[in-house]
Amino acid sequence: MLRAGRLLLASALLAAGCGAGETGAARALRVSGSTTVNPVVARAAEILRAERGLAVVVDTQGGSAGGLAALAEGRVDAAMASRPLDERDRSRYPEADFRPVPIGADAVALAVSRDVWEGGVRALSRAEMRRIYEGRIASWHELGGPDRPVALFAKEPGRGTWEAFADWLYGGSAEAPLVAHLEVGSNEEARTKVASTPGGITQLSAAWVDGETLFALAVEGAAGGAPVAPTAAAIASGRYPMVRPLLLVTDGEPTPAARALLDLLLGPRGQELVRAAGYLPLAALGTPGPGGPGEPEAGAP
Amino acid sequence: MTAAGSTEALGRRPVEWLRLACFAGSAVAALFLVSLVGLLLAQSLPIWREEGILGFLLGRRWFYRSGELGALAMIYGTAAVSAVALALAAPVGLGAAIFTAEVLPPRARLAVKTTVELLAGVPSVVYGLLGVLVLRDRVYRLLAPFEPLSGDTLLTGGLLLAVMVLPTVTTFSEDALRGVPGAHRRAARGLGLTRARTTFTVVLPRALPGIAAAHLLALGRALGETIAVFLVIGRRDNQLPESALSFDALARGGQTLTTKLGGAETFLAWGDPKHWAALMALALVLLALVVGVTLASAAVLAKGGGRAPVD
Repeated sequence: MLRAGRLLLASALLAAGCGAGETGAARALRVSGSTTVNPVVARAAEILRAERGLAVVVDTQGGSAGGLAALAEGRVDAAMASRPLDERDRSRYPEADFRPVPIGADAVALAVSRDVWEGGVRALSRAEMRRIYEGRIASWHELGGPDRPVALFAKEPGRGTWEAFADWLYGGSAEAPLVAHLEVGSNEEARTKVASTPGGITQLSAAWVDGETLFALAVEGAAGGAPVAPTAAAIASGRYPMVRPLLLVTDGEPTPAARALLDLLLGPRGQELVRAAGYLPLAALGTPGPGGPGEPEAGAP
Repeated sequence: MTAAGSTEALGRRPVEWLRLACFAGSAVAALFLVSLVGLLLAQSLPIWREEGILGFLLGRRWFYRSGELGALAMIYGTAAVSAVALALAAPVGLGAAIFTAEVLPPRARLAVKTTVELLAGVPSVVYGLLGVLVLRDRVYRLLAPFEPLSGDTLLTGGLLLAVMVLPTVTTFSEDALRGVPGAHRRAARGLGLTRARTTFTVVLPRALPGIAAAHLLALGRALGETIAVFLVIGRRDNQLPESALSFDALARGGQTLTTKLGGAETFLAWGDPKHWAALMALALVLLALVVGVTLASAAVLAKGGGRAPVD
């Protein structure tokens, strides 16, 4: 009887211990998604933690697509996305009520390694990029660069960066041809791999291109015409074609903690964080330039 | 179990509680495995129905957008990196085990054994990061004659895995060698055999089942390793060589079962039953491989242990 009693007591304590975690201190605000939006939200989270004692957990598992999946499943309170939401997202998660809020905008650059840039490749037209994507170019030499194979590191499908690229190149990710490439996931991985691979090229957020190990090519504008380099002016005016909104998405009305995060991000301090990370704050987004049929609604609330 | 007097009943109860608890523990573990297999089977049923077992396993193309879902390239990738890993870890690990078990004095042996086991404790993601920082560049330069696109190749994955499974090979082989009774060694020395001859003609054959089991366990670990391989293999689909033994293919990026499952497609497959079923089928194949190798390892050990120690 004594032994059984001890066993029962131990089980009861274990169960109580498990239960206590749920009803204890207020649960942390959980955010997940795009590695592009992450630097801004992570710093905002630090501010909330320091000033309001709010526990915020930010992770980037799975990028924009992963963040939306987690949000739809209720695993996080807010998702970070670096591409506009579309019909596919809503139909994939029919019970979710996605409410995207733009907090800034960012351009996608075609980033190349140093040897390609210094070898003379400074711009790419859509046709040339299509040839690269479809594997019809054997060497950078054909594009006026060094004699090295073209090592394209394609961003995984579902990444906001890839979606913006596919919109520019093929008018949508569903229209992109079926070709298998070396894949990279996060912006960090893309940056590291291309910087260390001669002949490398990848799609990367323009703010992440440092101009020392990686260089951003000028690309053909949305309506054709001369290539446009991703300078701040070109991005803000809409001449640079691959621009996408940076979004914080909630499922239905934001929770109070998510509301606090949103207010911080939309306010002056948050927008300063956006600017400091190299992205475009909402105020800097002018009306889209004359060229943009496939452009996401930058800055539209 | 007769209805005895109170003293006998009291004496029997503590043993029954213990037996019950142990049985419950094993039952839970077994139930977990069975449920896992059952769950994967149920979730992957659509793809088995649609493509058939061989159709899926031998399918050469994986483009989920067009519904082409074939696993062959990933099975090849898994096999290639595991083969490279074992080919490199086996001689090094076995050599280290022989040296540690037969040559080193006891204190040195303890130091080496501890070091090797510490190596086994390094988290996979650390290996992966080291692979990205250090191994990729070296392999890229090494493979220059094959003109690789980058340092992300099947060979890089195999090299990294070799380092990761080395402790498994070494530790378990060394245990197998130490398991051979000292009497055999002494008898051989008494007959005038040299140290080396004793080791290779007397000790090694008797330790063979344990050594084989060690390699099978290492293979099991290599098959299931995800994050380290994920970071250095390139994750390029549909990479199938013309011939299975072509070295050229090792200089290209590839995809294994684990790297596909560890990637982003599990998010994208949500809401698409066929795509999701295909991913679950990949998981089932991987589970079957690892379970098969683990069972083989246990069988080899059991068979070896059953042999009489003296011929």
